[in-house]
Amino acid sequence: MRAAVWWRVAWRNLWRNRRRTLITASALAFGFLGSVVMIGISDGFTAEMVENGTGLLTGQVQVHARGYRPQRSLYETIGGPSGTDVASLLAAADAVPGVAAAAPRVFGGGIVSAGDATEAALLLGVDPAREARVSRVLGSLVRGRAPRPGARELAVGEEMARRLRAAPGTQVVVVAPAADGSMGNDLFTVSGIFRTGLGDLDAGFAVVPIRALQALLALDSTRVHEIAIRTADVRQDSAVAARLAHRLAPQDLDVEVVPWTVFSPEIADYVKLAEASNGLIVAIVFLFAIFGVANTILMGTFERRREFAVVRALGTVPSGVAATVLFEGLALGLLSLAAGAALTAPVLAWLHHTPIDLTSIAGDMEFAGALVRPVLRVEYSVSGPVESALGLLLTGLLAALYPAVRAARVPPADALAGR
Amino acid sequence: MTHLRIPAPVPLLGVLLLAAGPAPARAQTAREIVDRVDRMLRGNSSRADIVMEIATEHWTRSLAMRAWSLGTEYALVRVKAPPREAGTATLKVRDEVWNYLPRVDRTIKIPPSLMMGSWMGSHFTNDDLVKESRMIDDYDIAIAFEGPRDGVAVWEFTLTPRPEAAVVWGRIIEQVRKDDLMPTWARYYDDRGNLARTMTFSEFRRFDGRLVPTVMVVRPADKPAERTTVRYRDLAFDVPLTPGFFSLRNLQAQR
Repeated sequence: MRAAVWWRVAWRNLWRNRRRTLITASALAFGFLGSVVMIGISDGFTAEMVENGTGLLTGQVQVHARGYRPQRSLYETIGGPSGTDVASLLAAADAVPGVAAAAPRVFGGGIVSAGDATEAALLLGVDPAREARVSRVLGSLVRGRAPRPGARELAVGEEMARRLRAAPGTQVVVVAPAADGSMGNDLFTVSGIFRTGLGDLDAGFAVVPIRALQALLALDSTRVHEIAIRTADVRQDSAVAARLAHRLAPQDLDVEVVPWTVFSPEIADYVKLAEASNGLIVAIVFLFAIFGVANTILMGTFERRREFAVVRALGTVPSGVAATVLFEGLALGLLSLAAGAALTAPVLAWLHHTPIDLTSIAGDMEFAGALVRPVLRVEYSVSGPVESALGLLLTGLLAALYPAVRAARVPPADALAGR
Repeated sequence: MTHLRIPAPVPLLGVLLLAAGPAPARAQTAREIVDRVDRMLRGNSSRADIVMEIATEHWTRSLAMRAWSLGTEYALVRVKAPPREAGTATLKVRDEVWNYLPRVDRTIKIPPSLMMGSWMGSHFTNDDLVKESRMIDDYDIAIAFEGPRDGVAVWEFTLTPRPEAAVVWGRIIEQVRKDDLMPTWARYYDDRGNLARTMTFSEFRRFDGRLVPTVMVVRPADKPAERTTVRYRDLAFDVPLTPGFFSLRNLQAQR
């Protein structure tokens, strides 16, 4: 009841100097806009990095035989030396809610040789159709086409193709230590050349149809090293991994289901850092604002010295006087928040749909093993506006704190006497 | 020195030295001894029949091979058995290594970046084939120990790479028996000082009148259960070979 009274007094006081209030509220509203947009850009950069970092090759969730990581031994296939029913494993993964696509993979280390040139290569055996839905490697072809399932064809990165002086149609020798101890070797035809922009990938990877690589490595078709999964939402990796692990548990395959936050810790660390720095953005923006707002409210209280003296003389307790001023700060904050929200929503929507493209100024950046385009894409988030709103309201309150104390301490007799 | 010795034995000089009797009386520097051991175990030229057994955690296999060498510069190794691998061959000329793959009828030159890769699936590297000829040049050699070990008089040499040498080992220690100059073991340390692999020599036998270790075993330190064993079945020295024999054309000749 009392609070309602002070609240009304505060609201009325706020509008006594309309221009000053509107100017101060505008400052806070623009601060809110700046804070939300900056957090949005930061989130956009983070999302871009996560999507690129995990979408280029790794996927967001991986299934391996337990112990496969980090050595990635040729022998550690899912289901042990006898392998597993890969088709039913993929079907099980596909059926898990949140899984957008799943693809089997076989890895081998070897060399690719064309003419006089020989390069070390990581051989990645894939099901081309499934792989295209999980990673972007085969979607990054700049020449030729993807290798056909089962054919002795391969796609190599642009840099490797340059070093091998290979083009689509070039015959290459692929040599790799096979699981039976022999040196697997065979002739392959380059079907396509990809450019992902990521140096390691473009210089070191050869993508081979999974059956052809299994044959080269003397592995049965039941033996795969990895099931890579694309999740519908990159940030839902842990939840999807847990559901998938639960789904696979009855099959007793002794697998581990790993989300990207675990197998790409450098990206996960960056995400944590970026999220922590959002708080810093809020703090910096409103730290600038807080002194301006405090100044405005302080001026307002100086003007009303005599008024405070009168209400004090009429029996109002000092805390009541302080409450009016605090409520005034809070009211200013709420007003600014409403204005800020109205201002921010269209700007955010606009930046989200037409990101600021800085491609003409800067090239792609490689960041923690992920490729990031120089595009200021703004991501919608809940935490950005919420943190900014809290920052704004806190600014209003904190700015009013000192003026409130000053107002409460106005000595009624002296003030009324004009001393 | 004790890298993969594609066979070996001895020029005339070696024979004379041995004939003059073991346990050399005159003072020698460590470098001279190691050089002499080296020369003793390597002929002007040689031809050897070798069986290489490779044992890993996951498989064991055995390759029968014939190897030819000329000086320190040239070597050719050709797999004879099993049939699936027969014809696979390696040619070494100075610093360069080529592999011939009969299945695809292609020759691949090993690039410098792959010199540390496994040779024929064994625990030897391609680099072992190449660096063999340069041990004396690449390392400073000191006697670390001289005296009896288990009742046998030995030297133990420490080989430290020279600053300018492009070598992979941080240090090598090799033990050589004093009475017959036979190496017994060599330990290879990485540049952080950790043992990387051990090579042991045994079953010293005479071929063509030359005493040589006929069994060499290399064990990687990080996988104690794994090893590659090289056994010499036959050795002939000073066979008539010319540099022309060590050609790419001959590499591909499936004999």
